[in-house]
Amino acid sequence: MNTALLRACFLLFMACGLSLLALPASVPVAAAALGATGAAPWAALQQSHFAGKKLEAAPFILISAPVRAASGDQVPFAFSIDHPMTAARHIKSVTVLVDENPVPLTAVFHFTPASGKAAAATRIRFESDSPVHVVAESSDGHWYVNTVSVKASGGCSGPMAGDDPAALAAAGKMKMALAAPFQAGAVNKARLLIRHPMYTGLQRDLSTNGFRPAFFINKIDVSYNGKPVLQADTSIGLSENPTIEFPFVAERPGALQVLLQDNTGASFRQTLAVGGDT
Amino acid sequence: MGRLPRAALLALAACAFVVQAKPLRVEQVAPGVYLHVGQHKDVEDGYDGDIANIGFIVGNDAVAVIDTGGSYAVGMALKEALRAITQLPVRYLINTHVHPDHVFGNAAFIDATVTDQRPQIIAHARLPPALTARREGYLRTLHKQVGAAAKGSVLIGPDRTVQDRLTLDLGGRKLILTAWPAAHTDNDLTVFDAASGTLWTGDLLFIERTPALDGDIHGWLAATDTLQTMPAAIVIPGHGPLTRAKHTALARQHDYLSALLGDVRAGVKRGAGMTATMTTAAAAERGRWQLFDAVNPRNVNYLYPRLEWE
Repeated sequence: MNTALLRACFLLFMACGLSLLALPASVPVAAAALGATGAAPWAALQQSHFAGKKLEAAPFILISAPVRAASGDQVPFAFSIDHPMTAARHIKSVTVLVDENPVPLTAVFHFTPASGKAAAATRIRFESDSPVHVVAESSDGHWYVNTVSVKASGGCSGPMAGDDPAALAAAGKMKMALAAPFQAGAVNKARLLIRHPMYTGLQRDLSTNGFRPAFFINKIDVSYNGKPVLQADTSIGLSENPTIEFPFVAERPGALQVLLQDNTGASFRQTLAVGGDT
Repeated sequence: MGRLPRAALLALAACAFVVQAKPLRVEQVAPGVYLHVGQHKDVEDGYDGDIANIGFIVGNDAVAVIDTGGSYAVGMALKEALRAITQLPVRYLINTHVHPDHVFGNAAFIDATVTDQRPQIIAHARLPPALTARREGYLRTLHKQVGAAAKGSVLIGPDRTVQDRLTLDLGGRKLILTAWPAAHTDNDLTVFDAASGTLWTGDLLFIERTPALDGDIHGWLAATDTLQTMPAAIVIPGHGPLTRAKHTALARQHDYLSALLGDVRAGVKRGAGMTATMTTAAAAERGRWQLFDAVNPRNVNYLYPRLEWE
Protein backbone atom coordinates (compact mmCIF):
# COMPACT_ATOMS: atom_id res chain seq x y z
CA MET A 1 0.00 0.00 0.00
CA ASN A 2 1.23 3.45 -0.87
CA THR A 3 1.55 5.00 2.56
CA ALA A 4 2.37 8.44 1.20
CA LEU A 5 -0.87 8.46 -0.78
CA LEU A 6 -2.76 7.15 2.19
CA ARG A 7 -1.31 9.87 4.37
CA ALA A 8 -2.15 12.50 1.83
CA CYS A 9 -5.71 11.20 1.67
CA PHE A 10 -5.89 11.23 5.41
CA LEU A 11 -4.68 14.81 5.67
CA LEU A 12 -7.09 15.83 2.97
CA PHE A 13 -9.82 14.12 4.88
CA MET A 14 -8.77 15.81 8.10
CA ALA A 15 -8.79 19.12 6.32
CA CYS A 16 -12.04 18.87 4.48
CA GLY A 17 -14.01 15.95 5.71
CA LEU A 18 -13.50 15.82 9.43
CA SER A 19 -16.50 17.84 10.25
CA LEU A 20 -18.58 15.98 7.70
CA LEU A 21 -17.74 12.66 9.26
CA ALA A 22 -17.75 13.64 12.86
CA LEU A 23 -21.34 14.68 13.04
CA PRO A 24 -23.23 11.82 11.47
CA ALA A 25 -21.10 9.49 13.60
CA SER A 26 -21.69 11.33 16.82
CA VAL A 27 -25.43 11.70 16.60
CA PRO A 28 -26.51 8.05 16.78
CA VAL A 29 -24.03 7.55 19.62
CA ALA A 30 -25.53 10.40 21.58
CA ALA A 31 -29.03 9.16 20.87
CA ALA A 32 -28.15 5.65 21.98
CA ALA A 33 -26.51 6.92 25.14
CA LEU A 34 -29.68 8.69 26.04
CA GLY A 35 -31.74 5.60 25.49
CA ALA A 36 -33.90 6.73 22.58
CA THR A 37 -35.34 3.48 21.38
CA GLY A 38 -37.19 4.65 18.31
CA ALA A 39 -39.48 1.70 17.63
CA ALA A 40 -42.66 1.51 19.66
CA PRO A 41 -41.30 2.11 23.16
CA TRP A 42 -44.83 2.04 24.53
CA ALA A 43 -45.30 -1.62 23.64
CA ALA A 44 -42.11 -2.45 25.52
CA LEU A 45 -43.03 -0.22 28.45
CA GLN A 46 -46.45 -1.78 28.70
CA GLN A 47 -44.84 -5.20 28.76
CA SER A 48 -42.32 -4.28 31.46
CA HIS A 49 -44.65 -2.29 33.73
CA PHE A 50 -48.10 -3.79 33.20
CA ALA A 51 -47.54 -7.34 32.01
CA GLY A 52 -50.74 -9.32 31.97
CA LYS A 53 -52.92 -6.28 32.69
CA LYS A 54 -55.63 -5.17 30.34
CA LEU A 55 -55.32 -1.41 29.96
CA GLU A 56 -58.65 0.24 29.16
CA ALA A 57 -58.65 3.50 27.24
CA ALA A 58 -59.90 6.12 29.69
CA PRO A 59 -60.86 9.56 28.46
CA PHE A 60 -61.84 10.38 32.06
CA ILE A 61 -58.14 10.57 32.86
CA LEU A 62 -57.70 14.25 32.09
CA ILE A 63 -54.16 15.21 31.19
CA SER A 64 -52.89 18.75 30.97
CA ALA A 65 -49.58 19.32 29.20
CA PRO A 66 -48.43 21.68 26.47
CA VAL A 67 -48.46 20.38 22.90
CA ARG A 68 -45.14 22.09 22.47
CA ALA A 69 -43.21 22.77 25.65
CA ALA A 70 -41.34 26.01 26.05
CA SER A 71 -38.51 24.09 27.69
CA GLY A 72 -37.69 20.42 28.11
CA ASP A 73 -36.42 21.09 31.64
CA GLN A 74 -39.65 22.21 33.25
CA VAL A 75 -42.72 21.00 31.40
CA PRO A 76 -45.92 21.72 33.30
CA PHE A 77 -47.85 18.49 33.62
CA ALA A 78 -51.05 17.59 35.45
CA PHE A 79 -53.57 14.78 35.57
CA SER A 80 -56.97 14.60 37.18
CA ILE A 81 -59.12 11.49 37.15
CA ASP A 82 -62.90 11.64 37.18
CA HIS A 83 -63.50 8.55 39.26
CA PRO A 84 -65.13 7.91 42.64
CA MET A 85 -62.77 8.04 45.64
CA THR A 86 -64.82 6.06 48.12
CA ALA A 87 -63.49 3.32 50.36
CA ALA A 88 -65.23 0.77 48.18
CA ARG A 89 -64.15 2.16 44.86
CA HIS A 90 -61.24 4.50 44.25
CA ILE A 91 -58.08 5.04 42.27
CA LYS A 92 -55.18 3.43 44.10
CA SER A 93 -52.24 4.41 41.95
CA VAL A 94 -51.32 6.47 38.94
CA THR A 95 -48.17 5.78 36.92
CA VAL A 96 -46.68 8.47 34.69
CA LEU A 97 -44.42 7.29 31.88
CA VAL A 98 -42.63 9.53 29.39
CA ASP A 99 -42.02 6.99 26.65
CA GLU A 100 -38.93 8.47 25.04
CA ASN A 101 -37.11 9.59 28.15
CA PRO A 102 -33.91 7.82 29.17
CA VAL A 103 -35.81 6.78 32.32
CA PRO A 104 -39.47 6.69 31.20
CA LEU A 105 -40.89 5.92 34.64
CA THR A 106 -41.30 9.44 35.99
CA ALA A 107 -43.47 8.84 39.03
CA VAL A 108 -46.02 6.54 40.63
CA PHE A 109 -48.59 8.33 42.76
CA HIS A 110 -50.53 6.42 45.41
CA PHE A 111 -53.91 7.74 46.47
CA THR A 112 -56.45 6.90 49.17
CA PRO A 113 -60.07 7.95 49.73
CA ALA A 114 -58.58 10.67 51.96
CA SER A 115 -56.97 12.13 48.83
CA GLY A 116 -60.43 13.22 47.73
CA LYS A 117 -59.39 13.03 44.12
CA ALA A 118 -56.70 11.22 42.13
CA ALA A 119 -54.96 14.28 40.79
CA ALA A 120 -51.58 15.97 40.82
CA ALA A 121 -49.87 18.83 39.03
CA THR A 122 -46.11 18.96 38.70
CA ARG A 123 -43.30 19.70 36.24
CA ILE A 124 -41.48 17.01 34.41
CA ARG A 125 -38.55 16.61 32.04
CA PHE A 126 -38.68 15.65 28.40
CA GLU A 127 -35.45 14.68 26.70
CA SER A 128 -37.14 14.66 23.29
CA ASP A 129 -40.59 14.80 21.73
CA SER A 130 -42.52 12.05 23.42
CA PRO A 131 -45.91 10.63 24.29
CA VAL A 132 -46.68 10.56 27.98
CA HIS A 133 -48.85 7.72 29.28
CA VAL A 134 -50.88 7.99 32.45
CA VAL A 135 -52.00 4.62 33.81
CA ALA A 136 -54.43 4.38 36.72
CA GLU A 137 -55.19 1.33 38.83
CA SER A 138 -58.55 1.22 40.56
CA SER A 139 -59.37 -0.57 43.79
CA ASP A 140 -61.86 -2.75 41.90
CA GLY A 141 -59.14 -4.18 39.69
CA HIS A 142 -59.32 -2.05 36.57
CA TRP A 143 -56.36 -0.55 34.77
CA TYR A 144 -57.00 2.61 32.80
CA VAL A 145 -54.78 4.52 30.41
CA ASN A 146 -54.74 7.83 28.61
CA THR A 147 -51.99 9.59 26.69
CA VAL A 148 -50.93 12.90 25.17
CA SER A 149 -47.89 13.89 23.14
CA VAL A 150 -45.50 16.70 23.95
CA LYS A 151 -42.86 18.31 21.78
CA ALA A 152 -39.83 19.25 23.85
CA SER A 153 -36.14 18.59 24.13
CA GLY A 154 -33.05 18.44 26.28
CA GLY A 155 -34.68 18.13 29.68
CA CYS A 156 -32.66 15.20 31.00
CA SER A 157 -29.18 15.85 29.66
CA GLY A 158 -29.24 19.63 29.53
CA PRO A 159 -27.25 21.96 31.72
CA MET A 160 -27.98 22.10 35.40
CA ALA A 161 -29.36 25.32 36.78
CA GLY A 162 -28.86 24.54 40.45
CA ASP A 163 -25.22 23.65 40.01
CA ASP A 164 -23.93 25.72 42.83
CA PRO A 165 -23.01 25.00 46.45
CA ALA A 166 -25.90 27.09 47.80
CA ALA A 167 -28.47 25.06 45.86
CA LEU A 168 -26.90 21.79 46.99
CA ALA A 169 -26.76 22.88 50.60
CA ALA A 170 -30.44 23.79 50.44
CA ALA A 171 -31.49 20.41 48.98
CA GLY A 172 -34.52 19.12 50.81
CA LYS A 173 -35.82 22.50 51.86
CA MET A 174 -39.56 22.80 51.39
CA LYS A 175 -42.29 25.39 51.13
CA MET A 176 -45.88 24.36 51.47
CA ALA A 177 -49.11 26.32 51.30
CA LEU A 178 -52.75 25.82 50.47
CA ALA A 179 -53.56 26.70 46.89
CA ALA A 180 -56.92 28.16 47.99
CA PRO A 181 -58.49 29.16 51.31
CA PHE A 182 -59.19 26.25 53.68
CA GLN A 183 -62.61 24.62 53.53
CA ALA A 184 -63.56 22.24 56.31
CA GLY A 185 -65.24 19.06 55.16
CA ALA A 186 -64.10 19.48 51.59
CA VAL A 187 -61.33 18.58 49.20
CA ASN A 188 -58.55 21.13 49.68
CA LYS A 189 -55.53 21.62 47.52
CA ALA A 190 -51.95 22.09 48.71
CA ARG A 191 -48.88 23.18 46.82
CA LEU A 192 -45.52 21.77 47.82
CA LEU A 193 -42.24 23.23 46.55
CA ILE A 194 -39.10 21.20 47.11
CA ARG A 195 -35.64 22.58 46.69
CA HIS A 196 -33.56 19.86 45.07
CA PRO A 197 -31.21 19.73 42.06
CA MET A 198 -32.67 16.38 40.88
CA TYR A 199 -29.49 15.43 39.00
CA THR A 200 -30.38 12.93 36.34
CA GLY A 201 -27.05 11.14 35.97
CA LEU A 202 -27.07 12.20 32.32
CA GLN A 203 -25.74 15.69 32.84
CA ARG A 204 -22.10 16.52 32.33
CA ASP A 205 -19.92 17.03 35.34
CA LEU A 206 -18.01 20.08 34.26
CA SER A 207 -15.00 19.44 36.45
CA THR A 208 -14.37 15.87 35.31
CA ASN A 209 -16.02 15.86 31.88
CA GLY A 210 -17.79 12.70 32.98
CA PHE A 211 -21.38 12.56 34.20
CA ARG A 212 -22.67 13.92 37.47
CA PRO A 213 -24.13 11.03 39.49
CA ALA A 214 -27.90 10.94 39.80
CA PHE A 215 -29.17 12.67 42.95
CA PHE A 216 -32.91 12.96 43.30
CA ILE A 217 -35.96 12.79 45.54
CA ASN A 218 -37.35 9.26 45.28
CA LYS A 219 -40.17 9.32 47.83
CA ILE A 220 -42.77 11.85 48.85
CA ASP A 221 -45.10 10.93 51.65
CA VAL A 222 -47.91 13.27 52.68
CA SER A 223 -50.43 12.71 55.44
CA TYR A 224 -53.15 14.83 56.95
CA ASN A 225 -53.75 14.37 60.67
CA GLY A 226 -51.87 11.10 60.41
CA LYS A 227 -53.86 9.70 57.48
CA PRO A 228 -51.97 9.17 54.21
CA VAL A 229 -53.28 11.43 51.44
CA LEU A 230 -50.52 11.12 48.87
CA GLN A 231 -47.48 8.97 48.39
CA ALA A 232 -45.27 9.23 45.37
CA ASP A 233 -42.31 7.24 44.15
CA THR A 234 -40.42 9.73 42.04
CA SER A 235 -37.51 9.59 39.66
CA ILE A 236 -35.18 11.78 37.64
CA GLY A 237 -38.06 12.66 35.33
CA LEU A 238 -39.28 15.17 37.89
CA SER A 239 -37.84 18.62 37.20
CA GLU A 240 -35.24 20.36 39.28
CA ASN A 241 -36.78 21.98 42.38
CA PRO A 242 -39.90 19.83 42.10
CA THR A 243 -43.33 21.25 42.71
CA ILE A 244 -46.41 19.16 43.39
CA GLU A 245 -49.94 20.35 43.76
CA PHE A 246 -52.25 17.74 45.25
CA PRO A 247 -55.73 17.41 46.77
CA PHE A 248 -56.58 16.15 50.25
CA VAL A 249 -59.76 15.83 52.28
CA ALA A 250 -59.81 17.90 55.47
CA GLU A 251 -62.77 17.29 57.75
CA ARG A 252 -61.38 19.78 60.25
CA PRO A 253 -58.31 21.93 60.84
CA GLY A 254 -55.15 19.95 61.32
CA ALA A 255 -51.61 19.25 60.25
CA LEU A 256 -50.41 18.43 56.76
CA GLN A 257 -47.16 16.54 57.08
CA VAL A 258 -44.59 15.79 54.41
CA LEU A 259 -41.76 13.33 54.58
CA LEU A 260 -39.29 13.30 51.71
CA GLN A 261 -36.51 10.91 50.96
CA ASP A 262 -33.75 11.16 48.37
CA ASN A 263 -31.69 8.43 46.73
CA THR A 264 -28.84 8.89 49.20
CA GLY A 265 -31.24 7.96 52.03
CA ALA A 266 -31.49 11.48 53.42
CA SER A 267 -34.94 12.44 54.62
CA PHE A 268 -36.65 15.77 55.18
CA ARG A 269 -39.82 16.79 56.99
CA GLN A 270 -42.19 19.70 56.87
CA THR A 271 -45.52 20.38 58.53
CA LEU A 272 -48.19 22.88 57.62
CA ALA A 273 -50.89 23.83 60.09
CA VAL A 274 -54.11 23.95 58.12
CA GLY A 275 -57.29 25.82 58.93
CA GLY A 276 -56.28 26.78 62.45
CA ASP A 277 -57.13 30.08 64.15
CA THR A 278 -59.66 31.04 61.53
CA MET B 1 -5.73 0.13 6.86
CA GLY B 2 -8.03 -1.90 4.63
CA ARG B 3 -9.57 -1.05 1.33
CA LEU B 4 -12.88 0.13 2.54
CA PRO B 5 -11.75 2.83 4.97
CA ARG B 6 -9.37 4.16 2.34
CA ALA B 7 -12.13 4.29 -0.26
CA ALA B 8 -14.35 5.94 2.28
CA LEU B 9 -11.71 8.54 3.03
CA LEU B 10 -11.27 9.32 -0.64
CA ALA B 11 -14.98 9.58 -1.14
CA LEU B 12 -15.25 11.89 1.82
CA ALA B 13 -12.38 14.01 0.65
CA ALA B 14 -13.92 14.29 -2.81
CA CYS B 15 -17.23 15.06 -1.23
CA ALA B 16 -15.74 17.77 0.93
CA PHE B 17 -14.33 19.48 -2.13
CA VAL B 18 -17.71 20.04 -3.66
CA VAL B 19 -18.94 21.79 -0.52
CA GLN B 20 -19.28 25.32 -1.75
CA ALA B 21 -21.27 28.10 -0.34
CA LYS B 22 -23.05 31.02 -1.82
CA PRO B 23 -21.55 34.07 -0.15
CA LEU B 24 -23.64 35.47 2.65
CA ARG B 25 -24.97 38.98 2.14
CA VAL B 26 -22.84 41.33 4.19
CA GLU B 27 -22.94 45.08 4.42
CA GLN B 28 -20.12 47.46 5.30
CA VAL B 29 -21.61 49.38 8.21
CA ALA B 30 -18.47 51.35 9.07
CA PRO B 31 -15.04 51.38 7.40
CA GLY B 32 -13.76 47.80 7.65
CA VAL B 33 -16.78 46.60 9.63
CA TYR B 34 -18.97 44.07 7.81
CA LEU B 35 -22.28 42.80 9.10
CA HIS B 36 -24.73 40.12 8.10
CA VAL B 37 -28.10 40.63 9.74
CA GLY B 38 -29.86 37.37 10.61
CA GLN B 39 -33.57 36.86 10.06
CA HIS B 40 -36.18 36.80 12.78
CA LYS B 41 -37.11 33.16 12.53
CA ASP B 42 -37.99 31.14 15.57
CA VAL B 43 -35.72 28.23 16.43
CA GLU B 44 -38.69 25.89 16.15
CA ASP B 45 -40.25 27.21 12.99
CA GLY B 46 -38.37 27.39 9.70
CA TYR B 47 -35.00 27.69 11.41
CA ASP B 48 -32.11 27.55 8.98
CA GLY B 49 -29.16 28.51 11.16
CA ASP B 50 -29.15 32.07 9.86
CA ILE B 51 -30.89 34.11 12.54
CA ALA B 52 -28.04 35.79 14.39
CA ASN B 53 -26.02 38.84 13.46
CA ILE B 54 -22.57 37.76 12.38
CA GLY B 55 -19.73 39.54 10.61
CA PHE B 56 -16.12 40.60 10.65
CA ILE B 57 -13.75 43.49 11.17
CA VAL B 58 -10.78 44.05 8.87
CA GLY B 59 -7.54 45.61 10.12
CA ASN B 60 -4.30 46.34 8.24
CA ASP B 61 -2.86 42.90 8.94
CA ALA B 62 -5.66 40.58 9.82
CA VAL B 63 -9.36 39.97 10.20
CA ALA B 64 -11.47 39.12 13.26
CA VAL B 65 -14.74 37.29 12.69
CA ILE B 66 -17.43 37.99 15.26
CA ASP B 67 -19.78 35.03 15.56
CA THR B 68 -19.96 32.47 12.81
CA GLY B 69 -23.63 31.53 12.41
CA GLY B 70 -25.79 28.57 13.25
CA SER B 71 -24.33 25.88 11.01
CA TYR B 72 -21.22 24.89 9.12
CA ALA B 73 -23.02 25.98 5.93
CA VAL B 74 -23.72 29.47 7.29
CA GLY B 75 -20.08 29.72 8.44
CA MET B 76 -18.91 28.72 4.95
CA ALA B 77 -21.14 31.34 3.38
CA LEU B 78 -19.74 33.97 5.72
CA LYS B 79 -16.21 32.88 4.81
CA GLU B 80 -17.06 33.20 1.11
CA ALA B 81 -18.34 36.72 1.69
CA LEU B 82 -15.20 37.56 3.64
CA ARG B 83 -12.92 36.20 0.93
CA ALA B 84 -14.68 38.31 -1.67
CA ILE B 85 -13.70 41.36 0.36
CA THR B 86 -10.23 40.65 1.73
CA GLN B 87 -7.41 38.13 1.41
CA LEU B 88 -5.95 39.04 4.81
CA PRO B 89 -5.72 36.11 7.20
CA VAL B 90 -8.54 35.51 9.65
CA ARG B 91 -6.63 35.65 12.90
CA TYR B 92 -9.48 35.52 15.40
CA LEU B 93 -12.93 34.00 15.67
CA ILE B 94 -14.70 35.75 18.51
CA ASN B 95 -17.72 33.96 19.96
CA THR B 96 -20.01 36.34 21.82
CA HIS B 97 -21.62 33.45 23.76
CA VAL B 98 -22.34 29.73 23.59
CA HIS B 99 -25.66 29.76 21.75
CA PRO B 100 -25.72 27.55 18.68
CA ASP B 101 -26.97 30.22 16.28
CA HIS B 102 -23.74 32.12 16.96
CA VAL B 103 -21.04 29.43 17.13
CA PHE B 104 -21.83 26.44 14.90
CA GLY B 105 -20.06 28.14 11.97
CA ASN B 106 -16.67 28.10 13.72
CA ALA B 107 -15.79 24.87 11.93
CA ALA B 108 -15.95 26.56 8.54
CA PHE B 109 -12.92 28.67 9.45
CA ILE B 110 -10.80 25.92 10.94
CA ASP B 111 -8.48 24.35 8.42
CA ALA B 112 -6.63 21.45 10.04
CA THR B 113 -3.84 21.25 7.44
CA VAL B 114 -2.50 24.76 7.86
CA THR B 115 -2.05 24.91 11.59
CA ASP B 116 -0.07 28.15 11.67
CA GLN B 117 -2.85 29.99 9.91
CA ARG B 118 -5.64 28.51 11.93
CA PRO B 119 -7.58 31.35 13.52
CA GLN B 120 -7.67 31.52 17.27
CA ILE B 121 -11.14 31.07 18.74
CA ILE B 122 -11.76 33.48 21.59
CA ALA B 123 -14.64 33.38 24.07
CA HIS B 124 -15.71 34.16 27.61
CA ALA B 125 -13.95 32.11 30.30
CA ARG B 126 -17.26 30.47 31.20
CA LEU B 127 -18.04 29.38 27.65
CA PRO B 128 -16.09 26.09 27.72
CA PRO B 129 -18.07 24.55 30.61
CA ALA B 130 -21.33 25.77 29.07
CA LEU B 131 -20.32 24.11 25.81
CA THR B 132 -19.47 20.86 27.59
CA ALA B 133 -22.85 20.78 29.25
CA ARG B 134 -24.77 21.52 26.07
CA ARG B 135 -22.75 20.11 23.19
CA GLU B 136 -24.68 16.88 22.66
CA GLY B 137 -28.06 18.52 23.03
CA TYR B 138 -27.16 21.30 20.60
CA LEU B 139 -26.03 18.80 17.98
CA ARG B 140 -29.18 16.72 18.25
CA THR B 141 -31.36 19.80 18.15
CA LEU B 142 -29.60 21.21 15.09
CA HIS B 143 -30.13 17.95 13.21
CA LYS B 144 -33.77 17.98 14.18
CA GLN B 145 -34.13 21.61 13.12
CA VAL B 146 -32.29 21.76 9.81
CA GLY B 147 -31.81 18.10 8.77
CA ALA B 148 -29.26 17.67 5.99
CA ALA B 149 -28.26 21.34 6.25
CA ALA B 150 -26.58 20.47 9.56
CA LYS B 151 -23.87 18.66 7.59
CA GLY B 152 -20.38 19.52 8.80
CA SER B 153 -21.60 21.31 11.89
CA VAL B 154 -19.45 20.58 14.91
CA LEU B 155 -18.94 22.66 17.99
CA ILE B 156 -15.40 23.88 18.45
CA GLY B 157 -14.55 25.56 21.73
CA PRO B 158 -12.16 28.45 22.30
CA ASP B 159 -8.36 28.39 22.21
CA ARG B 160 -8.22 31.39 24.45
CA THR B 161 -10.70 32.76 26.97
CA VAL B 162 -11.41 36.15 28.46
CA GLN B 163 -11.82 36.54 32.20
CA ASP B 164 -12.63 40.25 32.18
CA ARG B 165 -10.96 42.14 29.34
CA LEU B 166 -8.73 41.48 26.35
CA THR B 167 -7.36 43.73 23.61
CA LEU B 168 -6.70 42.29 20.15
CA ASP B 169 -4.66 44.07 17.49
CA LEU B 170 -5.62 43.60 13.85
CA GLY B 171 -2.92 46.01 12.68
CA GLY B 172 -3.75 49.66 13.20
CA ARG B 173 -7.03 48.55 14.73
CA LYS B 174 -7.67 47.45 18.27
CA LEU B 175 -10.61 45.43 19.46
CA ILE B 176 -11.52 45.51 23.13
CA LEU B 177 -13.27 42.37 24.36
CA THR B 178 -15.24 42.53 27.59
CA ALA B 179 -16.47 39.50 29.54
CA TRP B 180 -19.73 40.15 31.41
CA PRO B 181 -21.24 38.73 34.57
CA ALA B 182 -24.18 36.37 33.90
CA ALA B 183 -26.84 38.20 31.88
CA HIS B 184 -28.34 36.85 28.61
CA THR B 185 -26.20 33.74 29.28
CA ASP B 186 -23.42 33.24 31.82
CA ASN B 187 -20.81 33.74 29.10
CA ASP B 188 -21.57 36.98 27.25
CA LEU B 189 -18.69 38.78 25.57
CA THR B 190 -18.86 42.17 23.84
CA VAL B 191 -16.48 43.58 21.24
CA PHE B 192 -15.66 47.25 20.86
CA ASP B 193 -13.88 48.49 17.74
CA ALA B 194 -12.28 51.75 18.80
CA ALA B 195 -11.45 52.80 15.23
CA SER B 196 -15.08 53.03 14.15
CA GLY B 197 -16.74 53.32 17.56
CA THR B 198 -18.68 50.14 16.86
CA LEU B 199 -19.91 48.13 19.83
CA TRP B 200 -20.82 44.54 19.02
CA THR B 201 -23.05 43.45 21.90
CA GLY B 202 -23.81 39.85 21.03
CA ASP B 203 -27.12 38.88 22.62
CA LEU B 204 -26.72 41.35 25.46
CA LEU B 205 -28.94 43.45 23.23
CA PHE B 206 -31.92 42.37 21.17
CA ILE B 207 -33.60 44.74 18.75
CA GLU B 208 -37.03 43.83 17.31
CA ARG B 209 -36.74 40.17 18.28
CA THR B 210 -38.02 39.28 21.76
CA PRO B 211 -35.03 39.00 24.13
CA ALA B 212 -34.44 35.36 25.09
CA LEU B 213 -33.32 34.69 28.65
CA ASP B 214 -30.82 31.92 29.37
CA GLY B 215 -28.76 33.45 32.16
CA ASP B 216 -29.62 35.81 34.95
CA ILE B 217 -32.35 38.40 34.60
CA HIS B 218 -30.94 40.67 37.31
CA GLY B 219 -27.54 40.54 35.62
CA TRP B 220 -29.11 41.27 32.26
CA LEU B 221 -30.97 44.30 33.56
CA ALA B 222 -27.72 45.54 35.10
CA ALA B 223 -25.82 44.90 31.85
CA THR B 224 -28.50 46.80 29.94
CA ASP B 225 -27.88 49.76 32.26
CA THR B 226 -24.11 49.50 31.91
CA LEU B 227 -24.33 49.39 28.12
CA GLN B 228 -26.19 52.70 28.31
CA THR B 229 -23.08 54.31 29.78
CA MET B 230 -20.62 52.90 27.27
CA PRO B 231 -19.61 55.21 24.44
CA ALA B 232 -20.50 53.80 21.01
CA ALA B 233 -21.35 55.45 17.71
CA ILE B 234 -22.83 52.27 16.30
CA VAL B 235 -24.29 49.38 18.23
CA ILE B 236 -24.68 45.98 16.60
CA PRO B 237 -27.11 43.80 18.57
CA GLY B 238 -27.09 40.01 18.55
CA HIS B 239 -30.39 40.08 16.67
CA GLY B 240 -32.05 42.83 14.70
CA PRO B 241 -30.80 45.86 12.81
CA LEU B 242 -27.88 47.92 14.05
CA THR B 243 -28.62 51.20 15.72
CA ARG B 244 -27.02 54.58 16.14
CA ALA B 245 -29.52 55.36 18.87
CA LYS B 246 -28.64 52.78 21.46
CA HIS B 247 -30.44 54.62 24.23
CA THR B 248 -33.84 53.82 22.76
CA ALA B 249 -33.00 50.20 22.01
CA LEU B 250 -31.55 49.56 25.45
CA ALA B 251 -34.46 51.31 27.15
CA ARG B 252 -36.89 49.07 25.25
CA GLN B 253 -35.04 45.97 26.28
CA HIS B 254 -34.99 47.21 29.84
CA ASP B 255 -38.76 47.74 29.71
CA TYR B 256 -39.32 44.20 28.51
CA LEU B 257 -37.01 42.54 31.03
CA SER B 258 -38.46 44.59 33.90
CA ALA B 259 -42.02 43.73 32.88
CA LEU B 260 -41.09 40.06 32.63
CA LEU B 261 -39.40 40.04 36.02
CA GLY B 262 -42.16 42.00 37.72
CA ASP B 263 -44.99 39.91 36.29
CA VAL B 264 -43.36 36.55 36.92
CA ARG B 265 -42.44 37.55 40.45
CA ALA B 266 -46.03 38.64 41.07
CA GLY B 267 -47.29 35.36 39.59
CA VAL B 268 -45.05 33.35 41.92
CA LYS B 269 -46.13 35.42 44.88
CA ARG B 270 -49.84 34.92 44.41
CA GLY B 271 -49.42 31.28 43.33
CA ALA B 272 -50.80 31.88 39.86
CA GLY B 273 -48.94 28.87 38.48
CA MET B 274 -46.36 28.78 35.74
CA THR B 275 -48.71 27.87 32.89
CA ALA B 276 -51.10 30.74 33.60
CA THR B 277 -48.20 33.14 33.99
CA MET B 278 -46.78 32.09 30.64
CA THR B 279 -49.77 33.64 28.92
CA THR B 280 -50.01 36.78 31.05
CA ALA B 281 -46.48 37.89 31.95
CA ALA B 282 -45.12 40.93 30.11
CA ALA B 283 -48.34 41.03 28.06
CA ALA B 284 -48.08 44.81 27.84
CA GLU B 285 -44.91 44.36 25.78
CA ARG B 286 -46.46 41.99 23.26
CA GLY B 287 -46.98 44.49 20.46
CA ARG B 288 -43.41 45.75 20.60
CA TRP B 289 -41.55 42.55 19.80
CA GLN B 290 -41.34 39.94 17.10
CA LEU B 291 -41.75 36.23 17.92
CA PHE B 292 -43.22 37.27 21.26
CA ASP B 293 -45.63 34.32 21.48
CA ALA B 294 -42.78 31.87 20.95
CA VAL B 295 -40.06 33.44 23.06
CA ASN B 296 -41.94 35.06 25.94
CA PRO B 297 -43.44 31.79 27.29
CA ARG B 298 -39.96 30.24 27.20
CA ASN B 299 -38.65 33.12 29.27
CA VAL B 300 -41.42 32.60 31.81
CA ASN B 301 -40.72 28.87 31.81
CA TYR B 302 -37.08 29.69 32.54
CA LEU B 303 -37.69 32.33 35.14
CA TYR B 304 -40.69 31.09 37.10
CA PRO B 305 -39.03 28.04 38.71
CA ARG B 306 -36.01 30.18 39.61
CA LEU B 307 -38.04 32.91 41.26
CA GLU B 308 -39.90 30.38 43.39
CA TRP B 309 -36.74 30.13 45.47
CA GLU B 310 -35.68 33.77 45.23
